[in-house]
Parts: sequence; structure tokens; C-alpha cells
Amino acid sequence: MSEQKIDGFELKPGFKGMASDTGSDQTMFKGVHWGKAMMWIFLLSDTFVFSCFLISYMKGRGSTIVDWPNTSEVFSLHVGGVPVPLLLIAIMTFVLITSSGTMALAVKYGYEKNRKMCGWLILATAVGGLTFVGMQVFEWSKLIHEGVRPWGNPFGAAQFGSFFFMITGFHGFHVSIGVIFLFIYTYKVFAGHYDSKKRGWFTKMKGDYVEIEILGLYWHFVDLVWVFIFAFFYLW
Amino acid sequence: MSEEYDNNKSYQAQSSEVLDGSAGSINPDMDYVRPAEIPEQDLYHAHSFIEKWIFCQDAKVIGVQYFLTAVFTGIVGLILSWLMRLQLGFPELAGFMTAEHYYQFVTMHGMIMVVYFLTALFLGGFGNYLIPLMVGARDMVFPYVNMLSFWMFFVAVAVLMASFFVPGGPTGAGWTLYPPQTILEGTPGSGMGILLMLISLSLFVIGFTMGGLNYMITILQARTRGMTLMRMPLTVWGIFTATVLAMLAFPALLVSAIMMTLDKVLQTSFFMPTILKAGEVLEYGGGSPILFQHLFWFFGHPEVYIVALPAFGIVSDLISVHARKNIFGYRMMVWAIVGIGGLSFFVWAHHMYVSGMNPWFGFFFATTTLIIAVPTAMKVYNWILTLWRGNIRINTVMLWCLGFIVTFVNGGITGIFLGNVSVDVPLSDTYFVIAHFHMVMGIAPLMVIMGAVYHWFPLVAGKMLHEGLGKWHFWITFLGAYSIYFPMHYLGFIGVPRRYFEMYDSPYMTSAVGMNEFISIAAFIVGAAQFILVFNIIKTLKTGKKAEQNPWKANSLEWYTSTVPPEHGNFGERLPVVHRWPYDFSVPGAKDDFIPQTTAPSEVANTEVEKT
Amino acid sequence: MHAGIIFLLVIVGSVLFHIFTPWYWTDIASNWGGMDSTITLTFWVGGGVFVAVCLFMVYCVFRYSHKEDRRAEYKPEDKKLEKILTWATTLGVAALLAPGLIIWNQYVNVPKNALEVDVMAWQWGWQYRLPGADGKLGTTQVRNIADNNPFGINPDDPFGKDDIMIESDVINLENNRPVKILLRSVDVLHNWYVPQFRSKMDAVPGTVTFYWFEPNKVGEYEVLCAEYCGVGHYAMRGGVEVQDKADYEVWLSEQETFQQLSARYEKLNLDGNKLAKK
Repeated sequence: MSEQKIDGFELKPGFKGMASDTGSDQTMFKGVHWGKAMMWIFLLSDTFVFSCFLISYMKGRGSTIVDWPNTSEVFSLHVGGVPVPLLLIAIMTFVLITSSGTMALAVKYGYEKNRKMCGWLILATAVGGLTFVGMQVFEWSKLIHEGVRPWGNPFGAAQFGSFFFMITGFHGFHVSIGVIFLFIYTYKVFAGHYDSKKRGWFTKMKGDYVEIEILGLYWHFVDLVWVFIFAFFYLW
Repeated sequence: MSEEYDNNKSYQAQSSEVLDGSAGSINPDMDYVRPAEIPEQDLYHAHSFIEKWIFCQDAKVIGVQYFLTAVFTGIVGLILSWLMRLQLGFPELAGFMTAEHYYQFVTMHGMIMVVYFLTALFLGGFGNYLIPLMVGARDMVFPYVNMLSFWMFFVAVAVLMASFFVPGGPTGAGWTLYPPQTILEGTPGSGMGILLMLISLSLFVIGFTMGGLNYMITILQARTRGMTLMRMPLTVWGIFTATVLAMLAFPALLVSAIMMTLDKVLQTSFFMPTILKAGEVLEYGGGSPILFQHLFWFFGHPEVYIVALPAFGIVSDLISVHARKNIFGYRMMVWAIVGIGGLSFFVWAHHMYVSGMNPWFGFFFATTTLIIAVPTAMKVYNWILTLWRGNIRINTVMLWCLGFIVTFVNGGITGIFLGNVSVDVPLSDTYFVIAHFHMVMGIAPLMVIMGAVYHWFPLVAGKMLHEGLGKWHFWITFLGAYSIYFPMHYLGFIGVPRRYFEMYDSPYMTSAVGMNEFISIAAFIVGAAQFILVFNIIKTLKTGKKAEQNPWKANSLEWYTSTVPPEHGNFGERLPVVHRWPYDFSVPGAKDDFIPQTTAPSEVANTEVEKT
Repeated sequence: MHAGIIFLLVIVGSVLFHIFTPWYWTDIASNWGGMDSTITLTFWVGGGVFVAVCLFMVYCVFRYSHKEDRRAEYKPEDKKLEKILTWATTLGVAALLAPGLIIWNQYVNVPKNALEVDVMAWQWGWQYRLPGADGKLGTTQVRNIADNNPFGINPDDPFGKDDIMIESDVINLENNRPVKILLRSVDVLHNWYVPQFRSKMDAVPGTVTFYWFEPNKVGEYEVLCAEYCGVGHYAMRGGVEVQDKADYEVWLSEQETFQQLSARYEKLNLDGNKLAKK
């Protein structure tokens, strides 16, 4: 299953056409690679995971009796003695969004079989992801240093720390998994595994540049989730 | 290289090629099937014992592995139920059992049967074995991930079983694991037991996600030529919809498991309000126990249908094959499955009518719950209308199907009691609930599993199970199970609450001592009767009659493999091409009373077959 | 053939069991007779469907069992029949749903004149509190709970002073007077359930839940916990005694208020100190 062929298939117009295309034989999503379809469905499932986390967070935050900590103070960084709210988080967000851009470019060069550019861009994405994780580690240690714990904190409701560490931790875990794969793919691209169709060490399946797009989907998703976490934790 | 892998034979049967085999006299276009969109699947053939039978990537072997592991947990669950019934029926004989033990058995029995037995058996077991065969694929689309899925499940089971041996024993919080009691002292196994349970559940979810992606993509993107969605057997529809539900419902379980683990290990207070325990105020405060219930039942209710929908699908196929009649109202059946699946996400709080949530939710959830009764009733009508004017073989498989209809209708109707909010008030948390859900999602799906075992055993093992033993197995199981759960509803009417270790001298229970003894005896017999099947399987494998290909004269693709049992790659040189739905039984004018899915229209040109 | 007969016997047996069962609900002792009627209605409609479906199935087994020389009918769909069945089912379901919702509406709307009874649950027992002369319960907090303040009433709350504390796991109620049960828990989930009253609701720690009923039969009833609450769940019992107005008032006058209770404890403490000094 390397390349897609949809010989003699034209998508039919209108709602009826869509219904008959969807219900037609062999594939429902015409010309969509298996791995890509899998990633989309996995991301749908993962969306439910993050939604459950965020809805629980909203419910938890909405029903505490103790006041919620003032987020613009708690998350602020002191630059030359002046507290700047949202500074660190703005940089983190910028880095992550930028890495999404490099990822998109890597996919483009991958399909153009431009091995060098593709490899460097994936590496750049990986480095961006690593920077993000590093900054998150910095933020966590700063908060822990200030006394924020999962079971309580000096600023207000105990649930603040619980939800913050759990949700950003779960997101950071996603980013870290992504970074690991980005490094593996960097190696695979530079080693030319996708050009030679070398079989994977574990899965014994042939490599193809479409895998970069699949990883890209995951990476953009992790980015998108971050935007929601950013909005719900730092702006609310 | 060439030995290990299929050389990507990108074979594309053009329409002219198909025509060569057909009778020339008729309109040649009628046999046209679009050429292949996707090239042949790249398969890795195992070449060592370990790759073939242990870390195997063949979906059929994985299916059997899932099946056996699930049956093992099922037997553990069965033994636990015996112990519970011993305590309830004959407490004087169960002197070794403390209340702690009893609650641990209740909890583990429930969790094992719902998640590790039924879910794994239907989706992991039947799903893996049947999906690729029924849709005409060589294997699941990601064989390696599929293998990981099973081993993740295996580890989850191992962790679950390990909890029997840790200090404090397994958790005794009830399978719903309601906080705060789940992680507080006063509930057995609130230390290591609950922790292992939560870890095991998380592993199960991860493992299942891997498998579920496979089932979905195989069904959506890897069907053979001519296999349109509306030509898929209902088994595939049932498993597919159940998988979709699982992919969207298990996240809620994962999240609640993570949050509860943190509450337990790090003293966070997601679900924990201020609690006074033995005169001391605990470290917790500000959390919401009801939030857990919402998350749990957002998973828990679709879970019911994750078990039920594959059973619906499988039983439809079995009834159709053995009644020699097309399934009545196929399209209605498909839409009912999909509709039930969709609605099942909007009914979860009917488990929480008396939980203390906002009472106004009751109106909404009672309405949605009763709406779901409509498509479910349609399915029942269509099953019995399939029997009507059929040509019914009363063999073991059909008996299980008939048993399913009786128990399912019975359990479905008691569901209308419990779903109808104010009727639920007196009945909730009583034995009525126990009787209801055992009838509808315990016994009824079990009937289907047994029917499916008798039906597909010739395919999996190549030998026919013994009919006489099968009938004994059925009658003891059906009559026994029915006499366990039918009277049990009346305990609920009396008002006997569930999860009672003993009743003291309450008038509610003392009036029903005789019934409890009767139920317990029936439970022992039904449990023991399951070993008839074990014996039957062992005997058949040793000395059984060899099965011919397609012994039931069915139409669906799994019976048309190149060898029986099918080998890796399923269909030999060429994938089958599908021309019709799998329910063309007893078509007027046809020579046999069945037309396989692979039969081209021109071969049966002078029959009155309807276009599907 | 014998298969059909056995299935037939199962159905007949089920019906006979229902008619002759010695096990059925306890005599109702509250205003929720509507719940019983809805159950009965659902029972006959549902039971009718069950019997009809199963009898039809048995008929098919008898009539259409396998013969080599016969062919089944070939008719993939019957749109008209399916439509009729769908609408009939929908109507039936709606007919069952309507009374259920009407009674639920009564259940969640508490009458104005209902007497509030504060039920506090803990592992594993019950305690009760009634509003005093002012008709209002004092506010509470779990952290205030102590021997001299079993409900954790805020000492500064004036409404709390005259609250009547019941030093027993049996609560007396006045016959024919609506009662609003306020449920609280200090540790885990519980559920205050009297089968004869038909009604129930969970007690959830961290919040106050409620339901109401109107006892209408004088007598003593057993309270059961109906939500699993740990290892002592099955033993968590209490009691209710429904009395006529006169008897009830006598009983009420014998109960202690929160103020009296506090005073008693203070005195105990003083006495204890005196004893210690001697």
C-alpha cells in the first residue's frame, strides 16, 4: 500500500453523489492513504480525551468555593523586576506554531522528494518541539518553586495545580512523543529510507514520504490542542 | 525477500476479464465491477514459531488469541459469580467469606465480564477474525499495530489478575468505581487494588485504540471490489459501529481513570470533596463526585452498546443463514444500528436519575432513552419477521438465536422501566437493575457468542462441533439463566437493594430466602454447563467430523476462502469480487437456496433476484 | 418441534409466575402511588409486547421449520409494514413516557408546606435534624463537626440555635404531611431509601440533595442504604416512624435543640474538669 490509484473514479456531484460515493465499494474516502485515515480517526479519539480533560477543568473551576488564583499574576515572568504577564507562554506558543510551519514545509519537500530540505525541516520541527518542552519544564519548575503543587498552592483553589499539571503534562507528553518520532523520521529521511523503500525495523512495512504527512497531522493537532489549553488556562 | 513478502502483484481485473468467465448470452455490462483502487496489501509472512503463533501479525491468529484470553477472564468472572451466589443463597456454607471478599468478588466480576470478557471477545475476538474475511481483505490494514493491541490487552489482563495477589486484594468499589469511597479506607482494596485496576483499564483503552483503528480503517478503506457499504454483512456493521462508539467513549474512561489515579496517588481533589473520616477531616476538598459519574457513564452507556451492537449484527447473520431467508429490512437494520450507536451518546445520565444531579436533566435523558427503544424494537421485529415464512433449521445455532430473542426482548422491556425516569426511582439500585442488565447485556450477548461459536467453529478449526452436546449446552444454559434472572426482577420489586452482603432480618429479604437459594442453585448449574462446550471443543478437535467448505451454505465471503481454515492472506491468489449482498437466500428460480456474494449476476440471470 | 414447545412453556411459565408470585412490592405508604401505577402500566404494555413477540417466534418455529422441499419467501423489504411498526412503537413508547415525565415533574417540585428534614449520612449510619421554631435550618460545615456539634452547624448562625437534633437513627414523621428530605453526607455516597415510600436519592458529600414524599400510613419502617458505600453498606440501617399529629407532637417536644445540646456538653466538660480537679 504505497501509492494511491483511483482509476476511473470521479466524485459525483451533489448530496446524492456524495452519498453514493461514500457508500461505494472498496474505500469510503477515495484516494486517502490508510495511515492517514488512521491518524485522522486517532486524532478524533484524542480530541475526545482532551475535551474530557478540558470540560472537567471547566466544571472543576466553576464549582470551587475557594477563589481561583489570578492567572495573569501566577503565570507572569519577572523581567528586570517588572512582572510581564503571558511572556513565557507567548514565546512557547510562538515556538510551537512556528514548528507547525516548518512541519508543513517538510511535508511539501517530502512529496517533492527533496530529501535534504525535508530532513532539515523535520529536524527544525523537532528542535522547536524540544524547545517547547524545555520551556514547559522551566515553567513547571518555576511554579513548583513558588509552592504550586498538584494537591494545593498558596494562591487559591487547590484544583488549579491539579488541573494545570495534569493537562499541560498530558499535552507535554504528546509533544514529547511527537519529538521522539520527529527525530526518528529525521534519521530515516537523511538515511534515504523513504526513497529506497526500506522496510521498517519493527513493522516490516515499506517506508514512504506519506508517513511525514501523517506525523504532520499529529503535530498540527498537538498545536491546535495547545491553542485551546492556552485559551482556557492563561486567558480565562 | 521474495519468499517473505508477496511481490506486489498489482492485479487489476478489467471488466473484459470478468466477462470472459460469464455466460455470453446476456447483457455483458451487468457483471461490471469497478477495477481495484488499491494495490495488493503488502503482507509479512511469519517464518518462525514465535512469529506465527505468539507475536503474530495475522488477524485470524490475533482473533483467536483475544478470544482465548477473554474466555480465560470470563471463567475467572464465572467462578467469582459462583462465590457470590454461594454467599447469597447459602451463607452458612460460605463461612470463609467476609464482606470484604464479597465486595471484591462483585467488583471484579462486573469489571471482568463487561470490559475484559464481552468487549474483548466481540471486538478483539470476533472483530479480528471476521472483519478481514467478511469484507474481503487479506488482513487488517496495520498488522503490526494489531499485534501490539493484543499484547497490550494481555498485559492489561495480567495487571488486573495481579491485583488479586497484592496486599489488601483487588478493589471492592463496585464496577462503577464511584468516588469518594473507591479510594478511601472502608472500601476493600482501596490501596494497591484500585491502583492496579485503574492502570489495567488505562492499558486496556490504549490497547483497544490500536485495535479499533485497525477495525475501522479495514472496514472503511480496505474492502474488496464490489463490496459496497450496503453489501456488508450486518456482523461487520455491528462491529464497526461498536468500534466507533468505543473510540469515542473510551477517552472518557481514560480521563476519569487518570484523574482518579491522581486523586489516589497525589492527593489531588478532582472528585474528592471535604471528607470527614473517623473524626478527622481529610486532606481533600472542593472536588465533585458527580463529575466522575458523568465521565464514567459517558463511557459506560456506549459501552453497553459496544457489547450489544456486535451481538445484534452477528445474530442477524446467524438467523438469516439458518432460516434460509434474507434478513428482513436490511437497510432498516443498518440504520437502526447506526442510530442506536449515535443516540447512545445522549442517554448516559439515565444511570444517574437518583445520583443527586440536577433533577431537570431527568426529563431530557428519559426522553432520549425511550427514543432509543424505537430502533431497538425495529431490530427485534425484523428478526422475527426474518423467521416468518422462512425455512428454519432448528439446529444448535438457531436455538441460541431464539434464546437470544427471548432474553433480549425480556431485558429490553425492563429497560423501558428503568429508562423512564420516575419509574426508575423505586427500582434503581435494587435487584431489578441487576436482573435487567444481566438479561439484556449478559445473557443475551452470551447467547449470541455461543451461537457464533457453533456457527464459525467449522471455519476456524475445520471441524463440526457435536450437535447433541450443543443442544444440551443450550437448553441447560438458556433455561437455567432464564430462571436465574426472571425471578430476580421480583426481588427488585420487593425493594431488595443491590450490593448487599447479607440481609440481617429485614423482612424484604427473609421473604425471599427460598428464591435466593433457587437462583444460586441455577447459577451453579448454568456455570457448570459451560464446561460442556469446553468438552465439546476438545472432543471435536480430537475426533470430530471434518467440516466441508461452507457447511451451513452461507453467502458471505468468509466461507469462500481458498482453504479451510483460511491461511494467511485469506483468499489465495485472487481477492474475491462481490456482486450482491450476503442475504440472497431462497431466491425464486435459483438452483440452490443460496447465492454466494461472489456469484455474478449473469450466472443467475433467470432468477428473480432484487438488485442490491 | 420440542424446541417450540419448550419456548412456549417458558413464556406461559413467565406469565403464570407473574400472576402467582408471592413476591411483589410492599404495601405503599406514601403519596407515590403514581409510580406504582406507571410500573403496572409499563408492565402490561411491555409484558404484552414480550408475550406477543415470543409467541410469534414460537409460531414461526412450529410453522416454518426446515423442510427440504420448501423454499423460504424472498422479500427483502416491506416498507409499509416497517413504517406501521415504527409508528406503532413510537406511539407506545410515548404513551409510556408521558406518565413517567408527569410524575417526575411532581417529584422534583417540592410542595411549599413540606417539612424539611436534614438527613446526614456517614459510614455507616444516619443522623437527623429538624428545623426549630423559626422553621429554618442553620447552615453547616463539615469542618465544624464535633461531639458537641454532630451536624457541624455554624455556631454564629442564629437559625441554627433552635434546630432540633435527633439523638437516634430513627426519625419520626407526621402522617399526611409532606416531607422534604435534605440529604448530606460527610464521607461517601449514600442513599436514604425506604421501600414503602418508593422514593430515593443519593446523598453526595460536598453538596445537599433533596427529594420529597408524603407518608400516609402510620407505622414503623426500615431505612436502607441504597448506594454502595463501602464494606458496611449492607448493615447501614435506620428507621422511620410515621405517627399521627398528636403523637408526633409529643415526640417532637421531647427532642433537644442545638442550643440545649451545646449547653449539655459544656456542662459535661465543666463536670469533667471538676472531677479531674478533685
